[in-house]
Amino acid sequence: MSEMTINLKIWRQKNADDPGRFEEYRLPEVNEHMSFLEMLDVLNEKLIKEDKDPVEFDYDCREGICGSCNLVINGRAHGPKHKTAVCQLHMRNYSDGDTIVIEPPRAAAFPVIRDLVVDRTAFDRIIEAGGYISVGTGAAPEANLIPVPRDTSEEAFDYATCIGCGACVAACPNSSAALFTGAKIAHLNLLPQGSPEREKRTIAMVEQMENEGFGDCSNYAECEAVCPVGISISAIAQMRKDYMKAVF
Amino acid sequence: MKLDPKIPSGPLEEKWDRHLKDIKLVSPNNKRKHNIIVVGTGLAGASAAASLAELGYNVQTFSIMDSARRAHSIAAQGGINAAKNYQNDGDSVWRLFYDTIKGGDYRSREANVYRLAQNSNHIIDQAVAQGVPFGREYGGLLDNRSFGGAQVSRTFYSRGQTGQQLLLGAYQAMMKEVYSGKIKDYPRQEMLDLVVVDGVARGIITRNLVTGEIQKWEADAVVLCTGGYGNVFYLSTNAKNSNATAMWRCHKRGAAFANPCFVQIHPTCIPVSGDYQSKLTLMSESLRNDGRVWVPRKKGDKRPPHEIPEDERYYYLEERYPSFGNLVPRDVASRNAKLVTDDGLGVGETGLAVYLDFRDAIKRDGIEVIRAKYGNLFDMYENITDENPYETPMRIFPAVHYTMGGLWVDYDLMSNIPGLFVAGEANFSDHGANRLGASALMQGLSDGYFIIPYTIGDYLAGTELPKVDTDHDAFKEAADSASGLLDKLLAVKGNKTIIEFHRELGKILWDKVGISRSKEGLESAIKEIRELREEFWQNVKVPGEANYFNKYLEYASRLADYFELAELMALDALDRNESCGCHLRDEYQTEDGEAIRDDKDYAFVSAWEFVDVNGELETKLHKEPLEFEFVEMKQRSYK
Amino acid sequence: MPSIIEAFQSQVGRKILTGITGFLLVFFIIFHLVGNLAIFGEPDAMNSYSHFLHEFGPILWFARIGLLAVFVIHAWIGISIWLKKRKARPVNYNVYSSKGGPSKQGLSSRSMAFTGVVLLIFVIFHVNTFAFGDMGTAELADGTQVHDIKTLVLDTFQNPLYAFGYTFVMILLGAHLGHGIWSAFTSLTLKSKKASATIYTIGIIAAVILAVGFLFIPLYIYFGGGCEAALIQCN
Repeated sequence: MSEMTINLKIWRQKNADDPGRFEEYRLPEVNEHMSFLEMLDVLNEKLIKEDKDPVEFDYDCREGICGSCNLVINGRAHGPKHKTAVCQLHMRNYSDGDTIVIEPPRAAAFPVIRDLVVDRTAFDRIIEAGGYISVGTGAAPEANLIPVPRDTSEEAFDYATCIGCGACVAACPNSSAALFTGAKIAHLNLLPQGSPEREKRTIAMVEQMENEGFGDCSNYAECEAVCPVGISISAIAQMRKDYMKAVF
Repeated sequence: MKLDPKIPSGPLEEKWDRHLKDIKLVSPNNKRKHNIIVVGTGLAGASAAASLAELGYNVQTFSIMDSARRAHSIAAQGGINAAKNYQNDGDSVWRLFYDTIKGGDYRSREANVYRLAQNSNHIIDQAVAQGVPFGREYGGLLDNRSFGGAQVSRTFYSRGQTGQQLLLGAYQAMMKEVYSGKIKDYPRQEMLDLVVVDGVARGIITRNLVTGEIQKWEADAVVLCTGGYGNVFYLSTNAKNSNATAMWRCHKRGAAFANPCFVQIHPTCIPVSGDYQSKLTLMSESLRNDGRVWVPRKKGDKRPPHEIPEDERYYYLEERYPSFGNLVPRDVASRNAKLVTDDGLGVGETGLAVYLDFRDAIKRDGIEVIRAKYGNLFDMYENITDENPYETPMRIFPAVHYTMGGLWVDYDLMSNIPGLFVAGEANFSDHGANRLGASALMQGLSDGYFIIPYTIGDYLAGTELPKVDTDHDAFKEAADSASGLLDKLLAVKGNKTIIEFHRELGKILWDKVGISRSKEGLESAIKEIRELREEFWQNVKVPGEANYFNKYLEYASRLADYFELAELMALDALDRNESCGCHLRDEYQTEDGEAIRDDKDYAFVSAWEFVDVNGELETKLHKEPLEFEFVEMKQRSYK
Repeated sequence: MPSIIEAFQSQVGRKILTGITGFLLVFFIIFHLVGNLAIFGEPDAMNSYSHFLHEFGPILWFARIGLLAVFVIHAWIGISIWLKKRKARPVNYNVYSSKGGPSKQGLSSRSMAFTGVVLLIFVIFHVNTFAFGDMGTAELADGTQVHDIKTLVLDTFQNPLYAFGYTFVMILLGAHLGHGIWSAFTSLTLKSKKASATIYTIGIIAAVILAVGFLFIPLYIYFGGGCEAALIQCN
């Protein structure tokens, strides 16, 4: 088991009004089997013992499914590995003496709360606008009355796996939320259950996405590259298709 | 304190329907006059909030996460059970009920479990209508798999992400009502106290986790859906922020805590690798469908697994349980893993692991079939351990996973404090001493979609609730007590970090209140917990201040509660002189390690009341007897 | 339900409009390049082609205005996306890098705004030079008097500034199209992963062909091609 020393350059910001700045830390005895967030836990233990403010960052399940964590590491959302959330990134991907720069996801729609923690409620408001199928509790028909071709169901599932971490926004040069919005639209619109509300949903969600201050999509596809569950930009194509169908 | 489970009379099959017939209704006009607070927005909370809002109530939801979509329900992998009998393999509501009550080792209420099985089918209908993409057959109909030792295929699944998809369905239903204005959603708010006015739950105190502000909220009913308390062990498969604070504070306000010692230890998790480890990762137990569990027969055999010949491998589950083999229930699998590692047969650097081997399955079905079934789990394993499970067996070990215990509730899911309802993992109700696989999602959604919305109406229609506002003394007292505790924690300014304390507490619990317990161990655990708690209040170091975002302060306040809860768990385990489900007392087992249940003396729900005598924690045990009218209590046998 | 106008002002609508106008511009460019190839044809091929276009009269003007509109819309949306992007991320990353893999970030895609603006300025300049520039008259084989565009072109590209300036801008055009062609397909809802990969490659090949096709002409002329036939003084 090899241990290494890691140099960290971490964004510190007291609140949304604070301009923020970088602070540098040297962390010895980093174990290669540690997850990236465990490495930050160890840093915080050290800072607390030195009577310094620990670094705040969002995390919860640490299994790559809740979407809480979203750090931009050396300029890449969720770090260097594809299809990996930062909580599933391990220090064996780094070497002794490496310098790691950690920043929060940066977007006007994701204001900083503290340090690396940002407010992503804009995503919830996009879902509120139409990211659901309106079926009241109790109103559902027998489940097998609605057969769904397996391929359709699987395709919808691919989009439904979005964990809402916001890496797509963080990595997009334009801070666009097209992949997030497109994924939910595609998931629901592809299913027969979601089809009655398809037009209304698409228009409302696209409108809300814009109102939240996310930028335009320029087809960089960087979002797909950083997505921890690998959602394809074909979700965005589906959104555009359904939007045009709704409007014309 | 009187614990009346209020189980409706009549035949088992008709109890719930009869109850629904008798339930009082709130008129549509009056519904909008009622405020209901839902704390926690996982499966149970989000589904309850959405359903209540659809009925017309004003709902306020609170969550410690930044969005309801992040609740830990999202991490459930395997699936959700329902008695649809789509596979024509003889399943029925009765069989699902029977398996669940038997799986729980006869420590749950017949009526509750039967209702759960009845609701299971509605849940699937509801989820499909919401667009939850369950696995399907090529004909477009829903697929099922056999899961967690069930002998029928009744588990509906969405790849390895069933919890995620069901939660997103409930979350989306909830967001729809946020948009309509019937739900006001307050994320990043932590409930720190329950406000009880004249013996009735009338509101909560929260801390705004962004600003640190202590806030008061009034309501006609409070629904607690804050999940389980597995994190008391420090290392568990629970998400890092899952905690017991909301339920514990309710307990301290008078809500009885039932069966605290019933903790499920899941057999297939990735073993601990070092001290820095912050959590344990579950590998879906569906892996046991094809993987074979073994250890070397020889103690301290350090050869790499592929060099150990067949006759020197001990397939202990297959040998001991020929009919169920590797598919024995979770408690049995976990206990046996502990037995073999205690015998020094464990593998890996720490010796605290057993092999889960896919060699034979790959030989039989081909690598592609195995990849299609478990590819994402194998990738996850490789990512964490840096070992390729296609070539070398996985190393697994049990880890704390789910808590069957929780706040005591009656048939209506109301605690002994009128107006305080508890749903999902936070209540104790349906799983007895052991939960079967794919039943947690089912229970959370059954409570939230199909029980709470009716029973809360019954309560509101039948209760005279005087107007109370947040200027009431009870609110002030609770708010002061909540902020007082935070100030007290910050004032200690000791030398030991929160994590150091928590890790120590977790070790005591794992060693002595974990997979197996003994009188001696439990007594010493209680002593050690008390000592550690004392040290905590004198020597903990909590950084920062209370008036801004401060995760370590949140953590410290949760840990303070864990110390008290841990002691109660040990007390409960000590009191229960039998082995049942996940609770194995060393003194009560046969020679070959099988549990000995004592139905004569222990067929009851232990409900602990917190009594505050001059600020000292004193506990009082109440017993709700469990009566079995419809099933015969049998010794479980998976041989 | 938004009106058509409102729909085209939304993010999705804007992108689709960018795609449509982008396609139209690509068609125009192909058409233009084919026209330009007349310079390699019979001595009066280019002038007669130019004359042929002028014969359309008002229709030509109609096409010109249409083309201008397409161009303005395309540029306008592009610039507004660029402006919005700055608003959407007021604080930039100190370190930023692409994750590679399926990402289409690269010199071509990241410089769309820059290459686009250069092309915008270039087009004004280009139209001024060749549409409104001083042109003599020439006589076609059948005796028709026409604008002598060919001599203007040949003259213009004797100037190294023009010849190499054009070459440089055509490289930028190639860069713009390298991402642009695939992007237009994507904006117009191309979904299939397989088709997308194919079109990405085709897009780059097409961009290279178009850029080389265009930049070949000034270089060819500058280095002496086409002069003898036109009886003008060459480098």
